Amino acid sequence: MWHGWTRREDERLLTGRGRYVADIVVPKCLDAAFVRSAVAHGRLREVDCAPARRVPGVIGAWSAADLPDLPAVPRAALTDLSTPQAVAGREWPSLATDRVRYAGEAVAVVIGADRYRAEDGAAEVGVRIDPLPPAVSTVEALDGSVTLFDGRDNVALEGSAGAPIDEAVWREAAVVVEARYRQQLLLPSPMECRAFLAVPEGGRLTIWCSHQAPHRLRDELARVLGLAAERIRVVVPDSGGAFGSKSATFPEYVTAAFLAVKLGRPIRWIEDRAESLVAATRGRGQDQRVRLAADADGRLLAFELNIDADVGAYPQLGAGLPMLTASMATGAYTTPLVHATVRSVLTTTTPTYPYRGAGRPEATYAVERSMDLLAHRLRMDPAELRRRNLIPPERFPYETPTGRRYDSGNYSAALDLALKTLDYGRWRAEQAQRRAEPGAAPLGIGLSCYVERSGGEAAGLHEFAGLEACPDGTVIARCGTASSGQSHETTFCSLVAGPLGLEESRVRLIEGDTGEVAEGVGSFASRSAQLGGAALRQAATVLIGRARERAARLWGLPPGEVTWSGGTLRSGAGEPVELTLGDLVKATGPLRVDERIRAHTAFPFGAHAAVVQVDPDLGTVRVLRLVAVDDYGVVVNPMVVAGQTRGSVAQGIGQALYEGVPYGEDGVPLLRDGLLDYLLPTISEMPPLDMAETITPNPSTRLGAKGAGEAGCIGMPPAIVNAVADALEVTDPGLLRMPLTPDVVWQAAHAGEGR
Amino acid sequence: MKPAAFDYLAPATVREAVDALADTSRHAQVLAGGQSLMLELHYRRSRPDLVVDINRVRGLDRLDVRDGALHVGALARHRDFESPEVAPGPLGRLLSLAAHHIAHPPIRALGTMAGSLAWAHPAAEWCAMAVTLDAGIELRGPTGARVVGARDFFHGPHLTARRRQELITAVRLPLLGDTTGIGFAEHRRTQASFAVIAVMAALTVFDGVVTEARIGLANAAGTPVRAYAAERSLVGAEAARPLSGPPEHHPFARAGGIAAECDADPRARPYADVAYQRQVIAVLVGRALNQACEDLRRLSGGDRR
Repeated sequence: MWHGWTRREDERLLTGRGRYVADIVVPKCLDAAFVRSAVAHGRLREVDCAPARRVPGVIGAWSAADLPDLPAVPRAALTDLSTPQAVAGREWPSLATDRVRYAGEAVAVVIGADRYRAEDGAAEVGVRIDPLPPAVSTVEALDGSVTLFDGRDNVALEGSAGAPIDEAVWREAAVVVEARYRQQLLLPSPMECRAFLAVPEGGRLTIWCSHQAPHRLRDELARVLGLAAERIRVVVPDSGGAFGSKSATFPEYVTAAFLAVKLGRPIRWIEDRAESLVAATRGRGQDQRVRLAADADGRLLAFELNIDADVGAYPQLGAGLPMLTASMATGAYTTPLVHATVRSVLTTTTPTYPYRGAGRPEATYAVERSMDLLAHRLRMDPAELRRRNLIPPERFPYETPTGRRYDSGNYSAALDLALKTLDYGRWRAEQAQRRAEPGAAPLGIGLSCYVERSGGEAAGLHEFAGLEACPDGTVIARCGTASSGQSHETTFCSLVAGPLGLEESRVRLIEGDTGEVAEGVGSFASRSAQLGGAALRQAATVLIGRARERAARLWGLPPGEVTWSGGTLRSGAGEPVELTLGDLVKATGPLRVDERIRAHTAFPFGAHAAVVQVDPDLGTVRVLRLVAVDDYGVVVNPMVVAGQTRGSVAQGIGQALYEGVPYGEDGVPLLRDGLLDYLLPTISEMPPLDMAETITPNPSTRLGAKGAGEAGCIGMPPAIVNAVADALEVTDPGLLRMPLTPDVVWQAAHAGEGR
Repeated sequence: MKPAAFDYLAPATVREAVDALADTSRHAQVLAGGQSLMLELHYRRSRPDLVVDINRVRGLDRLDVRDGALHVGALARHRDFESPEVAPGPLGRLLSLAAHHIAHPPIRALGTMAGSLAWAHPAAEWCAMAVTLDAGIELRGPTGARVVGARDFFHGPHLTARRRQELITAVRLPLLGDTTGIGFAEHRRTQASFAVIAVMAALTVFDGVVTEARIGLANAAGTPVRAYAAERSLVGAEAARPLSGPPEHHPFARAGGIAAECDADPRARPYADVAYQRQVIAVLVGRALNQACEDLRRLSGGDRR
């Protein structure tokens, strides 16, 4: 359906003319390399930088002791996710001071004439750490034997959503299923790892950074460096992906910016893959316990979700993130009683931050795996069980027991379309046939009905957009978002060009530059089109109104008699007069509108399905077919949105089948050979995927778009795991913990036999 | 991830390369395809004083058949084995099956068989192939040339009989007879990941009875494994029917079990404990032997190369 569409940025990016942070050449720029702890947890006894300072090409080397003024990582200014109570007394130092709390934590920085020299120096820094016991799981961190911060509990934050459920409900229900699930830690793995360049000049600081929220980065750096915000300009050039992992002010950024100011020299830090695997923030990380009660007809009565989240060593954004899981624990169903609790537990692992999906995949998994367990217990078709409980379209807006207000939806329409697209009945028949045939490879079908949240939370539900008409007839669009690969040049320019009646090539987008865009929130939580796009669309309407007013004044007519079409103003009465937008600017001076939009959180939804075949002798899962039916509200550019679906589905497959961080006994990640150890799905692992859509407009904006960036990460993992459970007829959910690597699946397939 | 500084030399002849390696006061590394060495250099796990790049050495890319063996020059790339035409008969077919399981095409375009043997990674298909076929590894050092049999070549993970002053100049792979059927089975987590386990088999059959069996296992121990016990269990067994029915009643299943329990020496790894690895070995040996039978059946049907 998107054949013939092209992306404006592709000509540049595909011909090697993209410009990433590492491509930016600044004369006499220095490179930073960090010395990192090889120990998961320990007392930092000594960091000796003197040998590094003697290495040719090394400009300087510092430990925390050498830089007493080095600020700590700032608490995120954006949301309620990082609470002062959680952070107080548990600040994340930019360089470790007396304690290291995860393998990969920076203990020293070396600045060299280039990265080679900096690494030569880093290799010479002497580090002495007395190891303490690690605690890489919530179970270990909660047993009281290891304390990350002396005198402070390992539980950084507790919270809940919904009201506690009376025990009588569970006692009296016809059927109750209970389970424990694990959401493993995942590495977001953008193609471009983190990249940061700080250029001090005349009391001002220009930052080039692959970042999702440049205005926030500017404000947070200003705060910690003690500079006025207007003295810092943050520019986001081309970016090789983010997936939520580039929205914060990381320790390396603070250190590099601090030293750039201190030395008065440009400094860059270009993270490489080996570094990213240990030092970049992780996503997910939850141990979940659930109870789901239903009556004999399969009507849901109550759902309880208890979350112990491993949020890593320092309670930043990731500490509050599990609350997004708690508040989405209602799922897509009319369950009258839902209660979710959260404990954010500190562990000796790299801190947890948002990763594509951020809280919603965890909620969807808990609900959707439980739905299949219930269907099995009731001997009911899992599609039928879901249909019986989905929130019907007439009940929107729907207030959930966990405090969400779902804006709009037709959930059963999405499920029906998914079943039809899959040809559900045919696969069930094939499954029955295989089950009757000895030696046939087991086949399973898995479903997942998801509802997610896009746009972000209350504090971030606004965005800035500006339009400037130029004398040459072109229009400059400015937006407070920052693309990290989501095709904003294509989508946003078309959003403006459409209502203005201009060719898309006449619109130019400027974003990701705090020097050019007055204000902005950024690109995360699938908010760019929903909020930035809506703001641009509103700005276009306002611009047309202003242009008509000006032309009317020019021509001495009432504004109502000036029409606008195809980028041209025309008088509707008397002697016909015409003026293009460019000529109007020439005649009357600069024309610029700045708009700010506020909107509600939106709730995209959909139904995903997976068909898998399992080799029971080896445990290999072969995904035969995936179906993704997604309702993103109004879709601006179907090709771009299909790309988002495809990419997020790939990452959903990654969580279900491939990705995970194994830890050794010493608490150090076993990722010696990088992406040969941490397996990402590639094009070879992508199964046939059918995409279809329903469209329920976002009632909160005139554009009607909801978020479209994360669905595959949210809906697909439980669909795939449900399919494997269905193939093997596994009823003990503890046997199928993600990632479903062949050894896990083989053990699940033979659990009853006694190995 | 930047290498420490090193000297670099690109000799044009084997003699120059060997001369460069002769000075044992300097730690030298040979660069052929670079698909493992470059990673080691970048991680600084290998910090040589000197890198000897043999890619410009004339004649090392030769691949020819003489004296009953395929002679593989040190610069023959994995890609060169993708076609079964690389060697006559079953050997070409077996090498071709294996080559398609090595990483992905860009790596196959550069990586070399000799480099793979020198690196001696336990999961390498070519190392297991070398012990399966009783390959000879030709080494040239300051005092002359010698040939080491594959069975004596591998001493442990990344440990071989090659001395630091020696260059692998070629690998000799004996041809397989026309009455030999071959099979190759590999289990891995993604298309381009290392083998969890790989198994290769060559069955020689006379009158429907196995007269000789060769079975090699990759990633089943710290070194490539020749499954001698499993091989012995097959000699004299009927090879006419494929694996089916209750596994313990079939010689291939029995051989798989023996290979897994007696020949292999697996160590626990993330995502594959010892019990799982033994299971995979047993299954893959059965499948590789089955393939070898199928291969023979096709041959007797007249499809001889």
